[in-house]
Amino acid sequence: MELPVKQFQTRAEQDYVDLFAAAEQGLPGAGNPWVAQLRAKAIHAYGMLGLPHRRVEAWKYTDLRSRLTEALPLARATGAAVSEAELSQALGAEIAGLLAYRLLVVEGELRADLSDLAGLKAAGAEVVSLTEALQKPPRWLKDTLGKSNAQDRDPVVALNLALMSGGIGLRISNGVSLEKPVHLVHVDGGEPASVITRSVVLVEEGASLDLLESYASPGGAEVQRNAVIEVEVGNKASLNHIKLQREGEAAFHLVTWLVKIDANANYKAFQFSTGAALSRSQIYVAFTGEGSSLDASGALLMRNHQHCDTTLLVEHHVPRCTSRELFKAVLDNEARGVFQGKIIVAPGAQKTDGKQMAQALLLSETAEFDSKPELEIFADDVACGHGSTSGQIDEDLLFYLEARGIPQREARAMLIQAFVGEAVERIEHQGLREALGKASAEWLGVTFD
Amino acid sequence: MLEIKNLHVTVDDREILKGLDLELPKGEVHAIMGPNGSGKSTLAYVLAGKQDYEVTEGTVTWNGQDLLAMDPTERANAGVFLAFQYPTEIPGVATMTFLRTATNAVRKARGKPELFTPDFLRFVREKAATLKIDPEMLRRPLNVGFSGGEKKRNEILQMALLDPSLCVLDETDSGLDIDAVRIVAEGVNALRSPERAMLVITHYQRLLNYIVPDRVHVLSDGRVARSGGPELALELEESGYAEFGERAA
Repeated sequence: MELPVKQFQTRAEQDYVDLFAAAEQGLPGAGNPWVAQLRAKAIHAYGMLGLPHRRVEAWKYTDLRSRLTEALPLARATGAAVSEAELSQALGAEIAGLLAYRLLVVEGELRADLSDLAGLKAAGAEVVSLTEALQKPPRWLKDTLGKSNAQDRDPVVALNLALMSGGIGLRISNGVSLEKPVHLVHVDGGEPASVITRSVVLVEEGASLDLLESYASPGGAEVQRNAVIEVEVGNKASLNHIKLQREGEAAFHLVTWLVKIDANANYKAFQFSTGAALSRSQIYVAFTGEGSSLDASGALLMRNHQHCDTTLLVEHHVPRCTSRELFKAVLDNEARGVFQGKIIVAPGAQKTDGKQMAQALLLSETAEFDSKPELEIFADDVACGHGSTSGQIDEDLLFYLEARGIPQREARAMLIQAFVGEAVERIEHQGLREALGKASAEWLGVTFD
Repeated sequence: MLEIKNLHVTVDDREILKGLDLELPKGEVHAIMGPNGSGKSTLAYVLAGKQDYEVTEGTVTWNGQDLLAMDPTERANAGVFLAFQYPTEIPGVATMTFLRTATNAVRKARGKPELFTPDFLRFVREKAATLKIDPEMLRRPLNVGFSGGEKKRNEILQMALLDPSLCVLDETDSGLDIDAVRIVAEGVNALRSPERAMLVITHYQRLLNYIVPDRVHVLSDGRVARSGGPELALELEESGYAEFGERAA
């Protein structure tokens, strides 16, 4: 395929264009002109941008172009069996067994046979498979999907839109509140593949939802994941949105949340990451209605040569909104953690209150943490702040625990657990909070009863 | 018996203890007094095994075991307990979780069965009540937001739970009002036993009205300058530490 624009630098960069050209006619929604147009615009945007590299400011610490040596073929849905035992192995027993409405997406495909579609429907939620919905999209999906301008400036989001081949749509109607969380599981352990999904989550006026997304690629599967979730939190609505990233050691994980928050709404986000060779989680939040709040937090625990990037962009377009961010990184061996947090306060977005904090605990001399806060403030009556710390385990605290007979390994684990716990505590759902607390203990190789 | 012989300790290249000798038999309570900077807290830390306190000469044995060869955890298991002058605040670690982990770690190391939740809770509540510790305090993160008195009572609670044979109390009375001193002292006295030795480090005589020692040692410039009976503490209260190198206030 010919693009009018950029001279591609690497094989992978070109691969995506070739993938698109080869797959275009077979992608979901191929016959639908609306979808075709979205895809065409998106691949064009990608063509203008190419793969991001370290001279692109937003990708300064994560040089995707040099890390991606080739683009793997697009995943094909094969209807492969996924057993409970495999899920438990991939996600951890606590998370796999979480009392929730489960939606299982394998190789991009929403698996009706392995999902609680009937339960969700009975509870008043609407669920569609993106693969099917793109043929004949319901109004609410069409009004949301692809509307963000992120695809014009972020090549990863653009590629996602061009190549999206699965995912879900979930709509919680006005005033509906589900008893249990929705657990959206992405498990991919098959042939080496690019798994490119896009999902839409609408929480309408006065509705509330706990949503857990979990990602795993067991057995060292070569997965290049690119997932985008478009989220709208309506007037007076509330969404607790949690992500668990437990990809396998060979996986690439690029996941972007595109979030719009309407008036007097609450959005709480939490991300917990221990997996993947390279991961980047992007959270783009735009306040579009007054009086709303965002609380974004997370914890990442990485070792060996893992690279984990969390990038936030919070745009205050309207007055009287608050945003709070607290991210914790635990880094061992040669692992590298990245936190980028940008807050933009638009002219007129008075009484904005935005604070962010990123803290890293380095367990080795060779681990690295890069933190880059950015504030762009165009209003004069705002309170914005940011902080970042990076340090080792406090020897005085360690001594206190050891002097009480707690062996050093366990004492260190307790302190790391406490460090991470400060973020984990912000999760409202008790079952999830406890499950992620256990997940960090598991990473540390200890158990506390 | 605790036997300290010719102990020399250096911190940050500065010699603090300069040939300290001390014998503390089982069943006895000895007080260590002395002016600021005489090495009292250094002695406490060295006994507990804090790093950066370098022993350049001398020996320390507890019931014949070489304490200096052990790491802090091993010392705790061997029965050494240091009640800290400034107990550390550890946000994110629940006091109760900490108490249970520590108690069971020590019990396990000593070949005793671990205590499980209901038994353990009962055990803690009992001990806590005698120290007038509010059960609510045990649900908070370790020492975070505790008053000075609460921190010190929490130290004595840990001492009761860990069942040590050598208790080192570092300035346990500092920063406490007289009621708090009394509660803490009662907690300590309840733990006096023929099997247990205690080293009570204090700058002031006040605490020794409540915890009456068998012997008093005065530290000066990193050595024991004088030893005597409990009356020595009273004498110091009168005369101050002037003769031990501190100017009268």
